[in-house]
Amino acid sequence: MKKEDTVKLISAEGFEFVVDKEAAMVSQTIHNMLTSPGSFAERQHGEVTFPEISTTILEKICQYFYWHLQFASGKETEFPIEPELTLELMMAANYLHT
Amino acid sequence: MSTQKKRAFQIEAFKHRVVVDPKYAEKTWKVLEHAIHEIYNHNASGLSFEELYRNAYNMVLHKFGEKLYTGLVTTMTAHLKEISQSIESAQGEIFLDELNRKWVDHNKALQMIRDILMYMDRTFIPSNHKTPVHELGLNLWRDVVIHSSKTQARLLDTLLELVLRERNGEVINRGLMRNIIKMLMDLGLPVYQHDFEKHFLDVSANFYCCESQKFIETCDCGDYLKKAERRLNEELERVSHYLDPRSESKITNVVEKEMIESHMHTLVHMENSGLVSMLVDDKYEDLQRMYNLFRRVTAGLTIVKEVMTSFIRDTGKQLIMDPERLRDPVDFVQRLLDLKDKYDKVITMSFNNDKTFQNALNSSFEYFINLNARSPEFISLFVDDKLRRGLKGVGEEDVEIVLDKVMMLFRYLQEKDVFEKYYKQHLAKRLLSGKTISDDAERSLIVKLKTECGYQFTSKLEGMFTDMKTSHDTMQGFYAGQGTELGDGPTLSVQVLTTGSWPTQPSPPCNLPSEILGVCDRFRTYYLGTHNGRRLSWQTNMGTADLKATFGKGQKHELNVSTYQMCVLMLFNNVEQLTCKEIEQATAIPMSDLRRCLQSLACVKGKNVLRKEPMSKDIAEDDAFFFNDKFTSKFFKVKIGTVVAQRESEPENLETRQRVEEDRKPQIEAAIVRIMKSRRTLDHNNIVAEVTKQLQSRFLPNPVVIKKRIESLIEREFLERDKVDRKLYRYLA
Repeated sequence: MKKEDTVKLISAEGFEFVVDKEAAMVSQTIHNMLTSPGSFAERQHGEVTFPEISTTILEKICQYFYWHLQFASGKETEFPIEPELTLELMMAANYLHT
Repeated sequence: MSTQKKRAFQIEAFKHRVVVDPKYAEKTWKVLEHAIHEIYNHNASGLSFEELYRNAYNMVLHKFGEKLYTGLVTTMTAHLKEISQSIESAQGEIFLDELNRKWVDHNKALQMIRDILMYMDRTFIPSNHKTPVHELGLNLWRDVVIHSSKTQARLLDTLLELVLRERNGEVINRGLMRNIIKMLMDLGLPVYQHDFEKHFLDVSANFYCCESQKFIETCDCGDYLKKAERRLNEELERVSHYLDPRSESKITNVVEKEMIESHMHTLVHMENSGLVSMLVDDKYEDLQRMYNLFRRVTAGLTIVKEVMTSFIRDTGKQLIMDPERLRDPVDFVQRLLDLKDKYDKVITMSFNNDKTFQNALNSSFEYFINLNARSPEFISLFVDDKLRRGLKGVGEEDVEIVLDKVMMLFRYLQEKDVFEKYYKQHLAKRLLSGKTISDDAERSLIVKLKTECGYQFTSKLEGMFTDMKTSHDTMQGFYAGQGTELGDGPTLSVQVLTTGSWPTQPSPPCNLPSEILGVCDRFRTYYLGTHNGRRLSWQTNMGTADLKATFGKGQKHELNVSTYQMCVLMLFNNVEQLTCKEIEQATAIPMSDLRRCLQSLACVKGKNVLRKEPMSKDIAEDDAFFFNDKFTSKFFKVKIGTVVAQRESEPENLETRQRVEEDRKPQIEAAIVRIMKSRRTLDHNNIVAEVTKQLQSRFLPNPVVIKKRIESLIEREFLERDKVDRKLYRYLA
């Protein structure tokens, strides 16, 4: 996979998730981050650090990105969410505009 | 996530950061403000989007949205003021370049700022009814940069000057123009309209007003139209290159108004180059240009149409009233057809086959053709000429074309019954003299007349054809039965004509030579033997005969002559010399006919089988005639035509008129009765109107005549006047 096609998402704890740009852009915030005309640091390095999102949540988010790409149109399957993650996930979703 | 629905909830700050720092907002804003400066300075690469976004996000979440927003407005305004100054200080040519560059920069910065502040755009702005960031940026640009006192006027002037320079043939930077105009459009339609379009249109109107004035004084109509067309295309091109498409109709309107509408009359009536001379000189391209341009303005085509109509009417009137033309009916009709062809061509080639123009053309023709009461006669003569000889060697399709054209003229006639009358006469002559060339063409024309005017119109004409056919059969029967008994005598060919179908003038039969009389009597017996209860009378004024004659030096000729001429010539079998008077007594031919017949026998060069003394053109009663022994001709067959008055002479014309009037009477009466039968009561004016309408396809009845017919019907007790209202008629029976 080419480096240009992927983006590295880094959690508060420093875990790095390498995902397809296409998937990451499911988030409107990340989309703007990577497409905004004057190249910001994130766009140049291909990395985004989220100091306020924990690894667990970010992992879940990455899963959601791919789930969304695959099923968004049909919505036949449910995206599994553990109840204990719900609140944090919702807040992250608001932040990422997903 | 599947939590989308719940997003509407107000969510507590992410990661319950405890905001104890009262300067938190201030600090965060500083970070953002710095970022905005950096962005405007093209220094964004060092910034972390995530950090800025998070800061803005947190500010909004912590209820500092208002501060963020006002801060943004202030900072952006400050930057724009700087920009504005730098633009204002740009000298001359580079002004627009600078403006455009700054605009591009601003747009880019604005987009970045919007992205960073996306969270505010999403939540704070809609709930507080503020202007979204992007729009805010545009508004600020408009107010600070474009509407700054110095820039506003300068921008407009620069743009208009560029347009003017382009109009004067210079090449300008269209790309730059397009960008600037696009900027105005992006700032909102009102900005474009108010800051540019309005002035642009005013200036253009002025420009074209002056230019058209100049052109109209120096150019002829064709050149002027070419120039106007070019200008129009230029403006269209301009719009497509760098103006808003919505301006297209406005600017073309300006050009149309200034270049065309205000000079319409001058152009059309321009001497030596206006519409009339274009028509005369067949300038199809110029005409087409005129049509296309004038179509754009209201009343433009009406003027063209009116001028064309009056011109056609004048030309037609001249043609119709020209006494020179009236001498040769065939040429006269041919000229009419040519005229019609010409304008048909103009309309198809230049006027886009416009229906209104076709109608105008038709009404003009109808107008002037009916100015001349002899038009029906002439048209019939034209057909006669074509069917007699004109169509020789012409293909079937061409015949159809000629006939169709004739029908077209026929349609214009108001007095179709007059045409019928003449047509019948001419057809009778053609049929009886066997001169018709193509039976198909004859029939085809009759079919056309039938479709045009109905069965009634042609029934008699068709009867004539039937008579010809039955006569042919009768003759065959006659010869089959008696062939042997007739021996060497002259061959007789009889056409039995139904009275009524044929336009026969009652004329006393002349004295036929005894040779013929015998055969005639045989035929009479034969015919009456096969058909009971019929009466035969000989129409000697209509027949023809072939004679074999031997002249002085023994040369033989076959003479093709009319029955009258035959009777005269037969007299010379026995005597040498006869005076006109004697001939009249011997043959009982009416004097006027005899004169014509003698004239053709004695006075036409190359066909003078008789010799006349004295040698003058006119025939007097005492003139003496001799058999011309010295007659020579290089042809074996000599055809001696009667000096026919091809056109009717005045008294004949009057007579025909009278007969037509007579024939109209029963038709008018029938129409009145038909109308009254269904209406029962009707007042005078309405009757006249309805009768006119009913008879329109045949002729235009005169109201006075209608009145007389009504009176006659009252006398005969078909109608009565109402006892109270004398204007009202009642149908009786």
